[in-house]
Amino acid sequence: MKETKNIVLAEDNTTLSQLLKFRLQKEGYNAFIAQDGKQAISLIEQHKPNLILTDIMMPFISGLEVISHVRNKLKSETPIIVFSAAGQEEMVLKAFNLGATDFMSKPFSPNELIIRIKRILT
Amino acid sequence: MLNLETFKILQNYFQQLPIELKFVWVLSFILTVFAIIFTFYLKILRNSLRKKEALTIKYQKEYEDLLLSFLFEEIENNELSNKQNQFIKTIENEINNNFKRKIIVETLLKLKNEVSGEIETAIQDIYLKSNLKEHAYKQLKSKKWDKVANGIKEFTKFKVKEAYPEIKKLIKYPKKEVRKEVELYLVSLFHFEGLEFLNDLKISLSEWDQIELLEELQKLDNQEIPDITVWLNSKNESVVSFSLKLAKIYNKYETVETLLKLLNHKNQKIRLQVIDVLTHLQVFDAKDILKNSFKKRSQEEKIAIFKMFENICEPSDEDFIVENTTNSNFEIQYLAIKMLKEINEKAFNYLLKNQNKFYNKELLKFVQNN
Repeated sequence: MKETKNIVLAEDNTTLSQLLKFRLQKEGYNAFIAQDGKQAISLIEQHKPNLILTDIMMPFISGLEVISHVRNKLKSETPIIVFSAAGQEEMVLKAFNLGATDFMSKPFSPNELIIRIKRILT
Repeated sequence: MLNLETFKILQNYFQQLPIELKFVWVLSFILTVFAIIFTFYLKILRNSLRKKEALTIKYQKEYEDLLLSFLFEEIENNELSNKQNQFIKTIENEINNNFKRKIIVETLLKLKNEVSGEIETAIQDIYLKSNLKEHAYKQLKSKKWDKVANGIKEFTKFKVKEAYPEIKKLIKYPKKEVRKEVELYLVSLFHFEGLEFLNDLKISLSEWDQIELLEELQKLDNQEIPDITVWLNSKNESVVSFSLKLAKIYNKYETVETLLKLLNHKNQKIRLQVIDVLTHLQVFDAKDILKNSFKKRSQEEKIAIFKMFENICEPSDEDFIVENTTNSNFEIQYLAIKMLKEINEKAFNYLLKNQNKFYNKELLKFVQNN
């Protein structure tokens, strides 16, 4: 039997995170939603996801700190896709330096995100 | 309890007091009453704000859920289902209440700003199919400037191009906040074509407005900018300044002829900006014009000219440079000596050996060692 893959999504825009959660579940993934970096880290430690989706700018702990925690503290190679807004090019470069796998610039198409996730997880 | 006898004692005490103390007592009483009223007012205000906040969160959640169920249906079926029609009707009923309408628009924008593709189109459809658009039109006709500005902002965010005739009429609105929203609407939706309003703009475009317009223009995929000569020749100095920024950012080499004419603009700030653009574009033709008119120009312009020469000086400029190695302005003198060393080291060494009292010995030594 095929194992369902876990995805942790860290996004402070609740409408967007609910929409993405629905899309991910529709594609057969288990989606865990975090509204800030702190929640994201605890969900990552708890569920050991196959993929992490994180916004850069979030309350308490930023997306960059989440990446750093995953790569340096948890020593995990879990793929990480970063969401960035216009004008955050430097942040994206920092995210890549910290070990991000891919990035999507907002506004993005949820369909395109699903395609990228499938490509990474197959 | 304050009985009649105590009250009389206090009254007698008060009447016997000197006038200064009476004044202090009255003042203290008034201030105490004022403090009590103010405390109650703040308490009521705080409660009302908290209630409003709680209500906003409640409605936000409600509309967010409705919007998501609409979008989930949209993903499942391509045509509008009964559930979706019901959602649009719900919105239509709610938007008569300004408070709810504001939350609905915010909820739609919260998602629209983050997504593109079919989801964005679906949100756009909701805006157009429900009567939200008609309400924004009403706002444009409001007597309150903030409502007018909000109406324009809404059309910009939802990309409603058909509102153009109504919005264009507001380009000369007395309040600058409204004018700024009109400008952003035109540029966001009609891109460089939207800048046509500059052709006959009489009101000044503030530095901040210019920055916002440039930021909006740089977001565009198509960076092909139209001819800006008309704006460079505008009588409105803020339009000239803005078009000079465009000439610099978009490397408008074809405007060089107009730029050279602008070196004689009546406003010094514009002339300085022109020198800066010519420096950026490395226009060698500007050098002779500037050399010939150098003495007539202001100190700031002279410094700007030397900064320009620093990037594009050639051996043929040697006479002009040598002439200014004894300029009364320290910055010009330094740049002239530095350039002389770069273009003709022999001439510089000759200057070192044969320096007279007009030369700054320390400056020459510094340039020699650096």
